[in-house]
Order: sequence, then C-alpha cells, then structure tokens
Amino acid sequence: MPIENPFQDPLRFERRVPECAVVIFGANGDLTKRKLLPALYRLAYDRRLSAGFAVVGISRTPMSDEAFREKMLEAVKQFSEDTNFDENVWNAFAAGLYYVAGDIGDAALYRNLATRLEQIESERHTGGNVLFYLSTQPSQYARAAQGLGAAGVSKGKGWRRLVVEKPFGHDLESARELSDRLHESFDESEVYRIDHYLGKETVQNILAFRFGNGIFEPLWNRRYVNHVQITGAESIGVEGRGAYYQEAGALDDMIQNHLLQVMATIAMEPSATFRAPSVRDERSKLLRSIRPMTPEEVRVNTVPGQYGPASIGGKDVPGFRQEPGVDPQSQTNTYAAVTLFVENWRWAGVPFYIRTGKRLAKRVTEISIQYNEAPLHIFDQDGAESEPNLLIVRVQPEEGISLKFRSKRPGSGMMLRPVSMDFNYGSSFGERSPSAYETLLLDAIVGDATLYTRQDMVEASWSVVEPIQNYWRENPAEFPNYPAGSWGPAAADAMLARRGHVWRKP
Amino acid sequence: MGTTVAPEKILKELSDLWVDSGKQGQAEGGAGVLRACSMTLLVLAEAGEDTQDLGETIAALMPEHPARAILVRLSGAGDRSLAERVYSQCWMPFGQRRQICCEQVEITASDAALADLQSVVLPLTVADLPLIVWCRSLRLFAMPEFREFAQMAHKVVIDSASAPDAVALLERAHHEVERGIMLGDLSWTILTRWREMLAQVFENHQNAAHVARLAQIDVEWGGSRYVPALYLGAWIRDSLAAAGVNAKLQISRAADDEHLDVQLTGEGIAVKLAREDGRMVVTLNGASQCTNLPQPTDYMLMREELGIVRHDPVFERTLASAVQLAHPIQQ
Repeated sequence: MPIENPFQDPLRFERRVPECAVVIFGANGDLTKRKLLPALYRLAYDRRLSAGFAVVGISRTPMSDEAFREKMLEAVKQFSEDTNFDENVWNAFAAGLYYVAGDIGDAALYRNLATRLEQIESERHTGGNVLFYLSTQPSQYARAAQGLGAAGVSKGKGWRRLVVEKPFGHDLESARELSDRLHESFDESEVYRIDHYLGKETVQNILAFRFGNGIFEPLWNRRYVNHVQITGAESIGVEGRGAYYQEAGALDDMIQNHLLQVMATIAMEPSATFRAPSVRDERSKLLRSIRPMTPEEVRVNTVPGQYGPASIGGKDVPGFRQEPGVDPQSQTNTYAAVTLFVENWRWAGVPFYIRTGKRLAKRVTEISIQYNEAPLHIFDQDGAESEPNLLIVRVQPEEGISLKFRSKRPGSGMMLRPVSMDFNYGSSFGERSPSAYETLLLDAIVGDATLYTRQDMVEASWSVVEPIQNYWRENPAEFPNYPAGSWGPAAADAMLARRGHVWRKP
Repeated sequence: MGTTVAPEKILKELSDLWVDSGKQGQAEGGAGVLRACSMTLLVLAEAGEDTQDLGETIAALMPEHPARAILVRLSGAGDRSLAERVYSQCWMPFGQRRQICCEQVEITASDAALADLQSVVLPLTVADLPLIVWCRSLRLFAMPEFREFAQMAHKVVIDSASAPDAVALLERAHHEVERGIMLGDLSWTILTRWREMLAQVFENHQNAAHVARLAQIDVEWGGSRYVPALYLGAWIRDSLAAAGVNAKLQISRAADDEHLDVQLTGEGIAVKLAREDGRMVVTLNGASQCTNLPQPTDYMLMREELGIVRHDPVFERTLASAVQLAHPIQQ
C-alpha cells in the first residue's frame, strides 16, 4: 500500500509528480532538442520534477553520458525561448541525464537499457517508474515497443508508459496494425498517443469555457448554432521538410489528428467527471458520430489544394512543387478543406467546416461558432446588413475568446453596428503559459491521459479521413490551385457558398 | 487636503477615464482599450511608504489579477481629512494591438477620518467580484476601525514578519480567523516553495518509507524570519503528527541575518532545506540538489495570495499552532 505523503498541500502546491526515468528514443533528433529537453529543463527550473528524476537518451550515435549532457545543454540554451538559463539548476538536472547508444532493431540495445535502468534506479531512486518516449521515425515505433517487450523492460516494479508521436498509421488499417503491435508489449492504458494541440492552454480552456459555465452550454446545439468553422492556417511553407511533407499532406498531417481533436473538444457532450476515461469517452463518441462520406459527398464537401508560387510583400515565394526535395509533379495537398456533419441530436444538420493549409495569408488557429440570425430584423431601416453573432475561440497566436454582437451606435436613431467583447487569455492571466510539451510530459509522468489520444479515437478519425484520402487519390486535382499568401483555393469558398456561408478571414 | 470624498464623484471620474482612454486609444490608431477586472483590491498603507515602489507592485499584479485598485494612504494623526485621485494603469500585452487598462483610486485619510472611510470604499467596490484587503499597515490592523474593513472583505492579507511585536500580531490574526475572517499572511506564503520542496522529497517511495522514523525537527532563523520559522516548525510538526509521527521540534536563533533553514532527522534519514544565493538547496542524506528560488518580493507573494480566495485550512491550523508555539505556557 502506498505511503501517504504527510506534507502535501493541494491548495497551494503544484501537482504531485512521482519519481521516474524518461527514456527518449531518438535523442539525437530535432524534437528532442527543440521541444522535449527544453520542456523537461523548464519543469526542473520550475521545481515541478521530483528529486528522483532521470532522462535516458537513446540513438545510434555512440556517445558518452558527458557528451550527451553537453549536446543537451546546447539545445536547452538555444531552444528555451522564455526560460532563463540557471547553471546550478542545469547542473542538478544534467546529473540525471544518461545516454545509451544502439540500434532500435538490435536486441542488445534493450539489454543495455535494462542494465542502465537498474543502475539509475539505485543511483537516483526513480522508484522503477519509466516513461518511454518514441521520438523516432514512425516506422520504428513497433520495433521499439517489441524490443522493450522482448527484453522485459516494458514491465517492471514501478509503472511503465509509452508515449508515441503522430502519425498513428497512415490509414485505418495501418493504425490498427500499429496499435496491435504496441499492445504486444504495452496495455492500451499504458500507451499515450501525444497530440500537442490538446496540450495548448486554449484548447484545454475550451473545456473550462463550456463545462465550467452555465451560460453557454444551452446555446451549444443545432437550435442556435448555424455552423462552425475551424481554421488551422500557417503562413510558412514546408521549410526544408518538403520530402517528409510530400508523404503526409495537410489532410493527414493536420485534420486527421489535431483539428479533429479540436472539433471533438468543441462538439463533445459534457463529461460526467473530469477524469481521463470519462473525457476521452465523450471525445471518442463525438468522433464516432461524424458521418463518413460517400465518394459523391467527398466530391462536394471537400477541397484539396496546393500552393503555387507568388510574390508576398515584394518577396518571391516558391510554389510547393518548387520547394527543395519535392517532386515537381507532386499531388500532395498542402491545403485541405472539409465539411463534416455530426450525426447526433445536438448537432444534426450543422456543418462543421475545417480548413488547414500552408502558405496561407496568416498564421492563425481558431474556432468560430456562428449563431443563427435574429428571427426578425426590426432595425433594418438604415439598410445595415445583418451580422450574425459569432463566438470565436482563438488558439493561436493571440489566445482568447471573443463574442461578436450588435450594439446601438451612439446618437439619435436606431443604427446598429457590430462590436466585439474580448477575453484575452494572455492579458487576463499574465502568467506564462506552459508549453504544450511541458503540460503533456507532466501529464504522462503523473499518469493523466485526459489530453492524450486513445486508439478508438485514432480509428474513428481515420474512418472519417480515409474516404477523403481514397477519393483524392483516385481523382487527382489540378495543382497548384492557390497562390502562396492567399486564403486557399476558390473552390473552398464555393464549398461554403453552396450553403450560403462564407469563410471568416481571421 | 479636502475634508470630504464623494464616492459618486470618484465613480464619475472613473467613467470619464474610460471614455478618454477609449478615445485616445482609437486616435493613436490602436484597437481601443480593453477593461479588465477580476476583483477589488483595497491596499491600506501608511503615507510614509514608498509610493513608487508600492505603485509598481500593484501595477505588476494587474496583468494576472486585473482589479479596481483602491490605495488608501494613512496620514496618521491630525485633523479629519480625506482626499482622492483617480487614474488608470494600462499595459500593452506583447505582440498585441490593444491596451489593457485597470482602474486605480488613491485616497488619503487621516486617522480621524478612518471612521468615514468605509462609507467611501464600499460604493467603490466592483459589484459581484471579491474584495481583497491588503493591509500593509499593521498599525491599522491593530486598530478597532480595521474590523469594519475586515467585515467587508472576502479576504484580508497581512505580513506579520514586519510587525514589531510579531507574537501579538499572530494572536490578533488568529483571533480574526476564529471570527471567520479569511486571512492570508505573506510570512506563510513565503514558505510555499519550501514546503513544496519538502513534500517532493517524500514523494519518493524510499524516503516516504522513512517518515515514521523522523524524530527531530530543527528550524534556525535570523533577522525578521521568526514568524516564518514558527510557521514552518508548526506545520512540519503538525503534518507529522497527523501521520502518527511525534517528532521533537527545536526552533533556534541563528547569528546570520534573514537566515532560515530546516532539518529533519531520524534513523536512516536526514533532510535539510536551506536558501543559498537565490537557490533552494535540498540535502538528502548528504547529497545536495538545488533549484531556482528567487528572493520573494511582495509582488510574487501577493500574486499567490490573490489566486486563493477561499479558506486555507492548512494555514489556519498552522497559525493556531504557531500562536501556541510562541506562547508555550498557554499549552
């Protein structure tokens, strides 16, 4: 029976963080250097990690513990954007950094790792708890999990958890196959599929906004909501990752995971409790309620896009096909817009428009809920256009929530104009928000899977996306179909216009 | 100095302030100003306090705890007099176009006018939001007039460490808590990171297994750290007692100024927490580890207190024990 800590004070203290070792496969990679180590260092800086904490880096390059520490020191100094570097904090943190070299396909790696973990356990008192983080090529996930299982490292005297980065397969079948292979060594409850969008403060705030207030939920259904727009736009191109991106595309890279998860958070039913199984059940139910499209529906309700060259602010910008490493005939979608319908009583008939793309007019992620117009326009004598109420949840770059409504213009007469009531997350809470990786890493360490994706959600998402993938593959579009720096293809505007709607220009 | 202050006039001035700020913001090509408010913060300070320093602390709190701040400056003995001024505190969040502004009202009052002050402050509080009283004047805290402010407040915050007679102040604070006042003491807040670090040590299963063997608690203090030392000792002793562990507590004075450290010892375990050069050093069985722990400022401490507008049972229990520790004869 675990011994209760007599010194805990939940009102004042941050969450309790158990001792553990984090084993990172792909420790020499970009994600480790840019995100994982800076996030772990920040957690140490903020005193969020327990004293018995260690990191074991794994990659093929032979390296001593000391050389690994030096490498990670450089990474932390370079990529910790808003954290002061404190040498003493670093020294204490770095004393818990270890390195094991080896090939993921080689059984010897896992034997060495097992020995090292035992040694670390006795030196650092990590309690036998281990969080494995797969930050490798997706093709290595299954082999790493199997290697851990075969060496007996996937089970131990403490807890064992496995964090997996997206993509979780490239279609429904491969997602199931990956899952089956992970489950050979880890139970589903031990698998943490990370979607960093869910770690963003504002995405979490959607839950607080919806289920922490009584005023909004009655308006959150087909009776009042006309349609919902979800935008995940990037102004940059593929930034040297053309070869990788051409295998993925906007639909798989953004909609299948991030934006469908955001949609699930916006549209899910209230959860009975704020515990992981309950919240994930509701999110999963919502994803399973999205109607998969027939080929004819895909033709009408989706638009693929690819950016062509353009001049932005006097600077010539290449098209996708001109990017380094990209096939000049590439059919990869750098833009995707889809219209989805949720088949449940709350949302029946309400279109959910989702769009994402690279090289769009600006970098913005937001959810816009457009309400039905007032049933009677009694103030229309001045010829003012009707302005529907909008509730906008801004995820990035300015995090917050705005409500747009009409108000009387000062002066005589009854002239209305739209005004915006803004809640700005950054200014209302001046505190620094933790990065998504800080939040999610800490969640995994404490065993809170609320913000992680479960296998049934992955499968439900692929069930929605796969018919679109198939149709687009079988019916190649005329690319490029939008200039860099624009808001996407004209066909995407036409897709909304058919229902009398227009895309918001954030 | 005037002799009267009309709340309605202040409210009108506040309203005009927003109209002016809005016009100014739009004229400068910005997106106007955004008014933010999550509470009324009533700061009671002596007129002799550094105005700029206090103003900066209040301003620093605003982005995280936007409030209508009412600063009452106590001018001491003399004729009955009250005076006020109204201004706004604005800031532009990084990378954004819109200014965020909070209201500030400054009222100067002589002791003779204290009785009138409540009737001025009450209409100025923002409806439906909590009123937090930060009583920096321990002289006022000890006066009967303070009771009126405490009754209005959702929470009262003091700093007992700065009191000339800390024990008397703790007794008074304990008395207020017993009357149902929600109280915060910055001398307790200062210990949050210490307590958290100690708790973290015992998150480790091996260390947790030694809790029952802890037999001795030694707290050393210097300078103005007497109250934090009492709190820390009382809290550790009570926490262990709640777990069925009776450890002996020793609180002693160190030669160094502003010194505070604590050591817990028992068979097979020795834990020491000490501050060294802006860092917390935790030594467990001879092995040390340090983390960032900047010198706490009023801003940092108030930031934490303003985030807790509810009874803090751990603090209230510890306050009662600290009063007993300070007066062992009463036990």
